[in-house]
Amino acid sequence: MKRGALSTIAAGAAAIFGAGSALAAEGAPTPGGVHFQEPATAVMRDIVSFHDNWLMPIIVGVSVFVLALLLWVIVRFNRRANPTPRKFTHNLLVEVIWTIVPVIILVVIASQSFPLIIKEETIPQSEYTLKVTGRSWSWAYEYPDLGVSFTSSILSDEDIAARNAGDPEVPARRLLSTTEPLVVPVGANVHVLVTSEDVIHAWAVPSFGVKEDAIMGRVNETWFNVDSPGVYYGQCSELCGKDHAFMPIEVRAVSRAEFAEWVVAQGGTMPGAPAVGAGGEPEAAAAAPTR
Amino acid sequence: MAHGDVKHDYHLVNPSPWPLLGSIGALFLAVGGVVLMRGVGEGFFLAKGQWTLFLIGAAIMTITCIGWWGDVIKESRAGDHTPVVDIGLRYGMILFIASEVMFFVAWFWVFFEMVIFHDNRSSWIIAGDPEAMAAWANWPPPHVETFDPFQLPLMNTLILLLSGTTVTWAHHALQQDDRKGATLGLLLTVLLGLAFTYVQFGVEYPEAGFAFGNAGEVASANVYGASFFMATGFHGAHVIIGTIFLAVCLLRLISGGFSAKKHFGLEAAAWYWHFVDVVWLFLFTFVYVTPYLTMQGN
Amino acid sequence: MSHHDAAHAGGAHDAHGDHRPSIYDPRRWLFSTNHKDIGTMYLVFAIIAGLIGGAMSGLIRWELKEPGITFLPHLVHVPHAILEQVRLGVMNADQLWAWKVDAAKHFYDTLVTYHGLIMIFFMVMPAMIGGFGNWFVPLMIGAPDMAFPRMNNISFWLLPVSFTLAMISFLVPGAGDHAGFGGGWTLYAPLSTNWGGGATPFSYHDGPAMDFLILSLHIAGASSILGAINFITTIFNMRAPGMTLHRMPLFVWSMLVTVWLLVLSLPVLAGALTMLLTDRNFHTNFFNPAGGGDPVMYQHLFWFFGHPEVYILILPGFGMVSQIVSTFSRKPVFGYLGMAYAMVSIGLIGFVVWAHHMYTVGMGLDLEAYFIAATMVIAVPTGIKIFSWIATMWGGSIDFKVPMLWAIGFIFLFTVGGVTGVVLANSGVDTSFHDTYYVVAHFHYVLSLGAVFAIFGGFFYWIPKMSGYRYNGFLAGLQFWIMFIGVNIVFFPQHFLGAQGMPRRHVDYNEAYQYWNNISTIGYLITAVGVLVFLVTLVEMFLVKRKAGANPWGEGANTLEWSLSSPPPFHQFNELPVIKPEAGH
Ligand code: HEA
Ligand code: HEA
Ligand code: CUA
Ligand SMILES: [Cu+2]
Repeated sequence: MKRGALSTIAAGAAAIFGAGSALAAEGAPTPGGVHFQEPATAVMRDIVSFHDNWLMPIIVGVSVFVLALLLWVIVRFNRRANPTPRKFTHNLLVEVIWTIVPVIILVVIASQSFPLIIKEETIPQSEYTLKVTGRSWSWAYEYPDLGVSFTSSILSDEDIAARNAGDPEVPARRLLSTTEPLVVPVGANVHVLVTSEDVIHAWAVPSFGVKEDAIMGRVNETWFNVDSPGVYYGQCSELCGKDHAFMPIEVRAVSRAEFAEWVVAQGGTMPGAPAVGAGGEPEAAAAAPTR
Repeated sequence: MAHGDVKHDYHLVNPSPWPLLGSIGALFLAVGGVVLMRGVGEGFFLAKGQWTLFLIGAAIMTITCIGWWGDVIKESRAGDHTPVVDIGLRYGMILFIASEVMFFVAWFWVFFEMVIFHDNRSSWIIAGDPEAMAAWANWPPPHVETFDPFQLPLMNTLILLLSGTTVTWAHHALQQDDRKGATLGLLLTVLLGLAFTYVQFGVEYPEAGFAFGNAGEVASANVYGASFFMATGFHGAHVIIGTIFLAVCLLRLISGGFSAKKHFGLEAAAWYWHFVDVVWLFLFTFVYVTPYLTMQGN
Repeated sequence: MSHHDAAHAGGAHDAHGDHRPSIYDPRRWLFSTNHKDIGTMYLVFAIIAGLIGGAMSGLIRWELKEPGITFLPHLVHVPHAILEQVRLGVMNADQLWAWKVDAAKHFYDTLVTYHGLIMIFFMVMPAMIGGFGNWFVPLMIGAPDMAFPRMNNISFWLLPVSFTLAMISFLVPGAGDHAGFGGGWTLYAPLSTNWGGGATPFSYHDGPAMDFLILSLHIAGASSILGAINFITTIFNMRAPGMTLHRMPLFVWSMLVTVWLLVLSLPVLAGALTMLLTDRNFHTNFFNPAGGGDPVMYQHLFWFFGHPEVYILILPGFGMVSQIVSTFSRKPVFGYLGMAYAMVSIGLIGFVVWAHHMYTVGMGLDLEAYFIAATMVIAVPTGIKIFSWIATMWGGSIDFKVPMLWAIGFIFLFTVGGVTGVVLANSGVDTSFHDTYYVVAHFHYVLSLGAVFAIFGGFFYWIPKMSGYRYNGFLAGLQFWIMFIGVNIVFFPQHFLGAQGMPRRHVDYNEAYQYWNNISTIGYLITAVGVLVFLVTLVEMFLVKRKAGANPWGEGANTLEWSLSSPPPFHQFNELPVIKPEAGH
């Protein structure tokens, strides 16, 4: 992973626009895709594996089983194949079976489900705290401990065209790219506080396995820890009025060093790091956890 | 009521204009209500605060109620309310009261949610509006002065409980064919109902140490006032409806309308009255007394 | 008795066969106290509402056919002020288009909102409960009419009133210049409230549209509560001699459970709606944090109603499918008691699972765990139903008449919708699926492919009884196959969109979602053809007038309605039938 020696605004810009850094992964929908977006956190990997290895086989199994039974009775017990109907109305054994077996299946599902929600809902020791505020219709981000805050809105079609004309490493995407992406460090636990200034919004990044309602008057918490550098998109996921479809979320996960540079470029300070412009060693700064 | 080939005792009601008329009344009431509260356009009929449509709706509704229940009384006199129909009426009334209970559940739900979980809210890291935080942190919220339940509210409780006994008296008297006792009991019940309404709306409400209205304008206007006034207000509305119901029964009784055996109208009114009574006991316990006792430390 | 002759002047001839008033006599319909006539009015109302709601979903699908906001701008209402600006040259054509595109965003939201509300409150509920319930509960329990025939009529007439209010709401200003309420059928606060003051003044839906909508739903609710009281009383009090609870046909059982859910859940919605109304107009702050309220509380109140509501939408369908499956398999229902009590337990458990719609509001681990477990439990009684239907067919002699096609389609497609519900019940994965098209796919599988299939099944099962005419089997079968294919193409791809993260209630989407959206819209076109074929079938049936006998379905159809003529006499059971143990279901 290439780390620029710059500790100036330029580095911040580089981190944002991807020039010079390796934003390999991408969390975005794929055309015609039928499955989850590529997971970028351990939590999302667990969601996918719970869904793919447990839920899918079970629900497909149940559906196919019901379909097979239906096809069987259609073939075997239609008027021509079976002209005289039988009259039985009870069979204790099968009734017990079709009560007990679903119970067992559900217990199995629950046994996988509970560990997953524990993982999602337990906020681990976190290095960074990120505050996300929804408003109609943009997102405000703040790293309270780092002194960084900014607003992120949808990127207009003209800006998308302009940006893509420059042949960027990560092309801007309609309805997904923002004027100012959120930048997060890779491999760090980020504690996210979500709230709203007006109606309810929801901060969601599919590839992180994160979706948290932003509600005025209360602060919801969630967390993530991104595996690898990349751009990850999300969209507001609670109906919030006219421009609900137009308040995207764009997250750039960068290395700790780049993150530190970005923070400084945004006019913030990394804890333990010398003031802006003093040319401290970013790696050391980034290594110091905030709590 | 076997007649002709009809060999059952159910009541096949004749075609009736009241349902349609009542629905039209509801349409006027609803449109008129929105006009009143918010205004839909300009002019006499549609501008905000105009009563015309609403009053038309209310008039239609009143006519419907009088006509409809008048028909019911006529049918009852005509003997259409056979024993099995009578049982049906009882089911109907009980279920209606059940649905009313669920309506009050909504208002109590809000109240309990606020009482029990306000602590949770203040423990959320609210990094915003300090006023909102303060509102979450305490129950009742700042600037709210609750009533002392052992003064007026206690008196009102006793009034209502007493009225519960008088209506039972009236009922038992009627069952003994003691029409005088029944009339007296019912009259007392109506008077007690009126007294309750007067004490609540006329005396207690104006003294409230909290308000119902714009939080920006009145410091004590917040969800405490809202849930207090809406819950007790809806209860009060039911007291008024119950009082009218009982008053109608009183008139019917005086005009010789009930018999010792058949007086379901009165029984329904009594059931309704007891329901109103029970709701009040819950209100008194949880909205007046418990907060007062537990919040004194605040 | 002389009083009686007076009360029934002109009605005395009722008993002599079928002297029904002319269908051209307006008083027969306007003032009706006859459960069959009222049921018919409900059905007509439901069909009209279904066509309107279906047309709205067509507009939704047409807009979503391609990325970009391209279609709805042509349809938005342009206020006079804007037209005036265009006329004066203050606004040029491009700016006007831009204005329309912006307006189309809100218009889309209103379409989604009213589509959901119309389909639920004005199509499914009136069809199942008001229509089939009114027609067949009295017939099946051997009663001459409903317990409160006059109240039955106001239950009906309140519905057109409610629908009128909803349509007014759709057309009057909702948010600023824009007409209608665009906050979703769930009417979540604070998008639906309007705070004039407080620490954070906010007002999005500032127009009267939302107020009209609130009152519309109040009235629809009142209609349903009165109807529910009527049904419970009828079922408890008017069963024919020998018709014990445990001998009632399963359709009557399903209605009984359904209407209990109505009586107990709708008043809570009424309370929540009242709070919205007072929050909007009298600053009560119930859902305004600045005044100490809580927007999430609205969601609790709403879903305490809303979840039982989804079972209200499906239980009568369960009942109809039971009748149909048994009739066309020529075999009694398998496990009758288990079937009845499965519905009872679905109803009961349905009251304690509501917060599975709210996993993302930040409710905490314990509550999530509880709601996961409680929600999944409902799969067990539902499974009992699915398997008992199949067991009813097992060993039977199945006749694939049109109602049976819908019933079999229902059993499979409802299963598909049900199992995705079980996926959603797991809050861990609901984090990914919540408010995406996966949820849209789930609930259309249980509604548009569940409830609607049951309605069509019931319709073709009973239309010979109700009208006295037989339908054209070819046309009706054609409709089934077209719609079966159509709705699956509409909704199956939506699972993929949801997994890919496409949020619901979005007017526009990224190009990556184009492929499946396109296919979904094509599916809608197919479905729409199916609906047209339905209308043709109806018209053809009433034009050709093929007479139906009392029982067109044969020995399998052994509930009481088939013992009467088709259509049944205006007043049936002047002499109550006596039910012997062997008969019954
Ligand atoms: C007819 C209406 C209907 C029905 C019957 C159901 C049935 C179920 N629903 Fe659905 N649901 C809706 C209508 C309905 N739903 C609507 C309208 C919404 C969206 C509201 C909105 O937000 O606008 C919704 C949303 C919704 C959510 C919230 C999703 C979200 O917003 O994130 C959830 C989560 O738990 C859920 C779960 C379930 C479950 C577990 C069932 C169960 O009852 C299903 C049970 C059935 C089966 C499981 C199949 C048959 C069983 C077997 C063959 C036995 C063996 C099976 C197993 C062992 C798995 N539903
Ligand atoms: C019963 C409920 C029901 C039914 C039948 C349907 C039917 C359809 N729905 Fe609907 N839908 C909802 C309930 C329903 N929907 C709800 C609750 C929402 C959520 C709203 C919200 O987010 O707030 C929604 C949202 C919704 C969306 C998501 C919009 C968004 O989130 O942005 C879409 C998009 O494709 C859609 C499409 C369709 C289509 C193509 C049909 C087609 O199947 C339509 C074809 C037409 C019919 C199948 C009707 C035919 C019926 C009759 C003519 C009556 C017959 C009557 C008798 C015989 C008596 N619907
Ligand atoms: Cu913000 Cu939707
Ligand atoms: Cu639910």
